[in-house]
Amino acid sequence: MDDALILRGARRCSAGKFLAWLAPWAALLGVGGFAILQCLVRGLNQTNMDNRFAFGLWIFLDLTVIALGAGAFFTGFLLYILRREELRAVINSAVVIGFICYSGAILVLMVDVGQPLRAWFTFWHPNVHSMLTEVTFCITCYLTVLAIEYLPILLKNRQLRKIPSFLVFEFELHKVMPVFAAVGAFLSFFHQGSLGGLYGVLRGRPFAFREGISIWPSTFFLFIVSAVATGPAFVLLTTWLVSKLSGKRLVKPEVFELLGRISGWLLVFYVGLKSLDTLVWLNRTAPGVGANPGQFFAAQPFGIWMLFVEIVLFGAAPALIFLSRRGRAGTGWLLAASFLACAGVATNRLVMTIQTLVVPTLKFEPYALYWPSWQEVATFLAVIAYGVILYSLSFRYLRLFPQERELQRG
Amino acid sequence: MENGADRNARYGMVIDLDRCTGCGACAVACAVENNVPPARLQATDRTGLTWMRVYRADNGKAFPDNRTAFIPISCQHCGHHPPCVAVCPQNAVDVDPETGVVSQIPERCLGCRYCMVACPFHARYFNWFDPTWPKGMEAALNPDVSVRMRGVVEKCNLCHSRWQAAKAKAAAAGRRVIDPADYVPACVEACPEKAIAFGDLADPASDVTGLARSADAFRLLEELGTEPKMCFRSKREWVRRLGDTDVARPESEGSRG
Amino acid sequence: MFPGIYGFAWDAGHIIFLGVFYTVVAVVVTTLVRAAVRARADVKAGRIEELRWHAAFAELPSSSRRCRHELSGEVADRACENRFDCRDCAAHAEFVAKRSAAVRALPGGQTVAGFELPAGRLYHRGHTWVAEAPGGTLWVGLDDLGAHLVGAPDELDLPPVGARLAGNGTAWRVRKNGISIRVLAPVDGEVVAVGGPDLGWYLRILPDGGEPDVRNLLSAAEARPWLLREVERMQIALADEAVGAALADGGAPVEDLSKVISPRELDEVCGMVFLEP
Repeated sequence: MDDALILRGARRCSAGKFLAWLAPWAALLGVGGFAILQCLVRGLNQTNMDNRFAFGLWIFLDLTVIALGAGAFFTGFLLYILRREELRAVINSAVVIGFICYSGAILVLMVDVGQPLRAWFTFWHPNVHSMLTEVTFCITCYLTVLAIEYLPILLKNRQLRKIPSFLVFEFELHKVMPVFAAVGAFLSFFHQGSLGGLYGVLRGRPFAFREGISIWPSTFFLFIVSAVATGPAFVLLTTWLVSKLSGKRLVKPEVFELLGRISGWLLVFYVGLKSLDTLVWLNRTAPGVGANPGQFFAAQPFGIWMLFVEIVLFGAAPALIFLSRRGRAGTGWLLAASFLACAGVATNRLVMTIQTLVVPTLKFEPYALYWPSWQEVATFLAVIAYGVILYSLSFRYLRLFPQERELQRG
Repeated sequence: MENGADRNARYGMVIDLDRCTGCGACAVACAVENNVPPARLQATDRTGLTWMRVYRADNGKAFPDNRTAFIPISCQHCGHHPPCVAVCPQNAVDVDPETGVVSQIPERCLGCRYCMVACPFHARYFNWFDPTWPKGMEAALNPDVSVRMRGVVEKCNLCHSRWQAAKAKAAAAGRRVIDPADYVPACVEACPEKAIAFGDLADPASDVTGLARSADAFRLLEELGTEPKMCFRSKREWVRRLGDTDVARPESEGSRG
Repeated sequence: MFPGIYGFAWDAGHIIFLGVFYTVVAVVVTTLVRAAVRARADVKAGRIEELRWHAAFAELPSSSRRCRHELSGEVADRACENRFDCRDCAAHAEFVAKRSAAVRALPGGQTVAGFELPAGRLYHRGHTWVAEAPGGTLWVGLDDLGAHLVGAPDELDLPPVGARLAGNGTAWRVRKNGISIRVLAPVDGEVVAVGGPDLGWYLRILPDGGEPDVRNLLSAAEARPWLLREVERMQIALADEAVGAALADGGAPVEDLSKVISPRELDEVCGMVFLEP
């Protein structure tokens, strides 16, 4: 029915089946949309955030999707700047996922703030000393860059490319892609870092506060490294997932092998850096302001076990798997390692967002816990649904995986 | 002694915790003065607006050695790199050089709540609900203080409107410097025990200066280095320890917020 | 954000931060605008066909981009790096110089895997042929494989007399079974006459300049290994997925392949054969 929109030679399921696939996600989007509307109309009392937990599930979601979406800029950097041509096989998919991650994050942010219509104030009266200002500027610019990178993929659609001006514009745009890849890498470096800097500069929260280099706390660098380390792993994971769901082979095994190797080395670097930072923080930085590090882990489930899980199980273990030849040879191992790495980045963001607020700062206030309300969860799921729908449409009508066609036969 | 017109003031308080009975009159007076809306039915103790909030702490010992103290906490008006000022993306926190008061600009606030995460004293409160006043209560609103809207952060500003009024009064009398007796924040005025001493910490003649320097004066979280202008004092050692950054608490569950 | 707005100060923080921001915005905007301006210039300069071929060639699978010299056995493995435009390809000139007399003397006019490859014609990778016509013009037609693939077209969209063709641009369009097929032009030139499948030729072209540059076209001898390869690729593409690649041993090609394969398969094979991804 929609064959005219599908690329030549691409095998796609029937339009009916496709709609049946989209339907539950659309329903989830609807429910989430209703939750968002409730929050916008009635106010943020619809969430379970409060004065103790000013940041909640949504900020955790934002940090995590932006960290995972780092695969987009890093793959682009590796392909266009470092010329690793094998990654051409996954760059389109990575760009679409990056676009989904960042647009979803901004959507959630617009619901999370008390006055979304004042979002432009940050641009009009920027506080250049605030990490959040830096984040706002950077992710807005980067979303624009991602949209520009998405454009040529879109313009290559079977029907759109017939329009001469679109065809020619796509050709010219593709010629200057390295410029956008470089700008994207530059912007991403800074905002991934600033997201870490958000917490590292909190002098009032010894749990989060870190020393660093000049104005940049160590979390600035740790967030960058963890994002670039797990970016390739997330690309691997999503490619495998799409391959499984569509029942098609989309990339050659060498691509997975390369992504695994890159992730592996960066993860090793990250685990080393993070371990060093943790030791400095617990033995010097926190005691330096009189805080008692033992108190940081006094409330379950945020005990010291979580620190070990984050660094060892979700950090060192996938690094070792990625770096071992046997680990890279088997798709099962690669997947497990990718999943662990992504879980690691999610755990790290969770700890920074929630545990910072669980730990009291005053001797006479209690430890507190937080559970998101259904509106928060529904909004979270709506973002995922939006991502699935946009990706499904892109996969069906655009060439996300250049190697798919030659892998179709034998 | 009159402070010269060219010298900036540093308004602060010294709260005597041995006198505080935890009655909460300061909190109520603050709410009335500053047009804080009454809490909704759905509000919890963590979603209310309490610019001045009285905490309760005890020494963790069992009866008969158990002792309690009440600590009224509002914005500590940090004097050195206030954590909230540095982090606000919109420059919605203004530090008045003339008075040292750290005030929130609700019209510019985006409601991102980063300042709330940054403040170690939990002195900042978010409008989780639309402010509404029961019918008739709007007659009690203070015309000198603007009301805030939903989705913005607000906090103590040392009754800046009263300072403005004191300045206007001084100007009307042809003076450039206010009469200290004219500028008294609502909480100070309301306390039945007179536990809160308020004044200009930069003025050697003011009461607070001497009190702040006394041996049993302390500040909350001094080790963080934010130089709060709100001091506390107590003859009890365990109360003075309540300002420590080390949040380890005594074995028994005696503390609650 | 700008001087004069509350909170702005001419200090290092502001200058560095806003300086970087405005630089990034400037870079992004100027790059985007330049691409758009160049695109408009390309359209105005009539480079649409040329760029369409550029884009299409880049997207062809590697099996469609084999160099003619690999197909004729002169080199083991070589992908075309010049979009099948051998006229300005330095490597092609070298290969031609090195070509042995034996290769040059190979006869044409044979039947390859059931498809005819008449001598006296030059063949384009997009399955068209050219032959000399009186008055310095050239006949252009669809080769035997292409004709068997398309059969009797449902619709034929030939260029009008006087239209200009660009080499590797669009020559004519065919519609069959709902599939739209774009046939590539083998040479640059002006259309002086139009024909059709029943006439045996589709177009008569007056090439630019006196002597037409046909270095990008294959002679019948060279076209032999190429056509063999094309037939093989077609068979693999049409093979049953369960069976995989199978070797056809004998038989004659069906008159109208489009009658026996599904529209989706026809679409896929036509894209492969006529070099349109």
